[in-house]
Amino acid sequence: MSEASVAHAGISRDLRDEVVAFLYREARFLDHADYDSWLALLAEDIRYVIQASPALYRRDGGARENDIAHMDDGLADLRRRIKRFQDAAAWAEDPPTRHCHIITNIEVEATDNKDEFQVYSAFVNARGRFELEDVIMAGRREDIVRNGEDGLRLVSRRVFLTQNVLLSRNINTFL
Amino acid sequence: MVKLGIQLGAGMRLRGDFEGLVDCRGGSIDRSIFWDREIYDAELQRIFARCWIFLAHESQIQNPGDFVTTYMGEDAVIVCRRKGGAIGAFLNSCTHRGNRVCLADYGNARRFVCNYHGWAFGLGGELLAVPEQQAYADERSLFDQTTLGLKAVAQVDSYKGLVFGTFDPNAPPLTEYLGAFTYYLDVLLDAEEGGTEVLGGCLKALMSCNWKLPAENFTGDAYHVQWTHQAGASAMISQRQFAYDLDRSYAANVNGHGSEFGLDGVANVAVLGHPEIVKYFRQRRATVAARLGELRAQMWGSVSSANVFPSLSFLSGVNTLRTWIPRGPHTTELRTWVIANKAMPDEIKELLRTATPRAFSPSGVLEMDDGENWELSTRAMAGVATRKERLHYGMGLHTRIDHPQLPGNVYQGQLSDANQLAFYQKWADLMSSPGPFERQDHMVAP
Repeated sequence: MSEASVAHAGISRDLRDEVVAFLYREARFLDHADYDSWLALLAEDIRYVIQASPALYRRDGGARENDIAHMDDGLADLRRRIKRFQDAAAWAEDPPTRHCHIITNIEVEATDNKDEFQVYSAFVNARGRFELEDVIMAGRREDIVRNGEDGLRLVSRRVFLTQNVLLSRNINTFL
Repeated sequence: MVKLGIQLGAGMRLRGDFEGLVDCRGGSIDRSIFWDREIYDAELQRIFARCWIFLAHESQIQNPGDFVTTYMGEDAVIVCRRKGGAIGAFLNSCTHRGNRVCLADYGNARRFVCNYHGWAFGLGGELLAVPEQQAYADERSLFDQTTLGLKAVAQVDSYKGLVFGTFDPNAPPLTEYLGAFTYYLDVLLDAEEGGTEVLGGCLKALMSCNWKLPAENFTGDAYHVQWTHQAGASAMISQRQFAYDLDRSYAANVNGHGSEFGLDGVANVAVLGHPEIVKYFRQRRATVAARLGELRAQMWGSVSSANVFPSLSFLSGVNTLRTWIPRGPHTTELRTWVIANKAMPDEIKELLRTATPRAFSPSGVLEMDDGENWELSTRAMAGVATRKERLHYGMGLHTRIDHPQLPGNVYQGQLSDANQLAFYQKWADLMSSPGPFERQDHMVAP
C-alpha cells in the first residue's frame, strides 16, 4: 500500500470535513478573542506547546524535547492565560488586538487509537494593535484531535514558528 | 531642603556633546538618550565595547567544542569551551571578507568554517587552514596565518557560572567591575550548594524599544509591579494589588548595578503559580541562611528585580535570567533563560522549565504587559516637542540610609528612582569619557 493510502486509511471524507470545520471554528473563536468558547474545544488532558525555534547545525540534531518553550501548558495553565486576557486590567489587551488566524494545509491521518487523529496544518497569524503595526507570524502545527462523546476535542498541539527571534514583543494569542 | 540620597561625583553631568542629558541631582533625564542615533552609536563605543557584557552561562558550554553565539552590543560573538577547559570568545566574523563563521545558536563544533571561501578557525579562534593555500605562498601576498585568527574578545572571565567578556583590554577585572554587587548576585547564584545551571535553551523576542528602558526597569522599578502587572498577578496568584512593605524592602546600587527587593521570601516564587515551588523555597530557607546569612535568605525568592550594568537582568525566585541586546536606537532583542540551582530536585527543575517562561518570557502572563510600555515610551520620543520634555526620576531620593549589612548605596523601601538614577549616572560617566576604544578609532591605519 502506498504511504498516501495508509495515511488516509480509516479517515472518511465526512470525518475529514468535520476536522477541517473544527479547526476553522477554533480559528474564528481566537479571532474574536472568544476564549471561553475556545476552551470548550480542548480536552481535559490537553498539552499545548509553542516551541522555541533555535538555529542548530544538522549534526547537532533538532530542537530538544526538553528545551524551554514559548508556551508549554496544560488546561489549568491555559485557563490562567485566559484569565489575564479577560481581566479588565490587562492593559495590553485594551483596545483589543485585531486578530486574524488563517489555517490551511490541513491533513488528517489515523492513529493507533481509533478515536484519535493526527492532524497537520499550517497557519498565518496577523495581529494589529497600534496605528502602524501589522505583526505576522507563520508556522505549522501538529495536533492530536479526539472524537469523543461531545464531539471533537483538541488533545495535543505542537506549534512550530518560522521565526528564530520572535519578531514581536509577545504572543498574546494562541496559534 | 531635600537631602539627596545619590552620591554625586564629577561625572554627574555629561560633558561635551552629552552635557546635561542626565541630571541626577534634579532627578530628570533628557528623552533624547532613548531616541538619537548619535547617542546610540556612542553607546556602542563607550558602553558596550567597554563594559563587561554577559556572554553565556557555563552550563551551556560544558564540554570541549560546546559553543553559543551571542552579541556584545551589535558585535556578533562566538563563545566556546576550548580543549583543556578554558572559555574562548571571539568575533563571529571571518577575517577574510567578514562573513559570519557560525550560524547556529548553540551546538558542538571542532572548528568554525566560513561558508564563503572555506577559511577554518579553531576553538580558540586561530586560523587553522585556508583552501588553496599555495595561492598565498608568495610573501607578497602578505598572508600571515598567525595574525588572521578571529579577533578575540579582550578579556573573558566568569563569576559563579556567569561568563562575561569585554572588548576593552584596560577594563578593570570582572570582580572589580561587579564590586560589592556580588552580595546581591549571590542570592541568585550561590543560594545552594553546587551553583546554578540554565535549563533547556533560550527564548528570544524583538521589541521596538530602546535597550535602557527594560534595563532600568529591572534595576529598580518595583513601582510598576502593582499597576502594569495587575491582570497577570490576578491570573497567577488571584491577588490584584501588590502591597509594598516599605519598612521591609530596599533598593541598593553599586557601580551602576542595581537591585530592589523585599524580605517577604516568596512573592516572586508565588507568581509562578506552583505551591510546590513555594514550599521548596520555604523548606530550603534555613540552609540558604547558613550559606548567605538570614538577611539574604529572606531576599531569596522575595519580590525583587536586578540588573548588572549595562544589560543583564534577573529575578530571584522567578528564576529568569535575561539580557537586552541593542539592535538599533529603537530596537532591543530580549534573550531569556531559566536559571535553576543545580541542587534543586528534578521535579522542581521540570516545573521551572515551563512555569518560569509562563510568567516571564515574551509570552509570559506577567511579562506580556511590559513590552508595549517600553515600545510606546520609545516611540513617543520621535516627536520633537515631546522629546524636549524631560522625564521625571525623582521618587524616593530622600530615602538613602546606612545599613549595617547591605553594601552599596542603600535606600529604604522599594519605591524609588534611586537605582535608575545610579544606572544613568554610570551611563553618563562612561558616555562622557572617550575611553580606549574611541582613541583607537581615531588612529590612522598603517
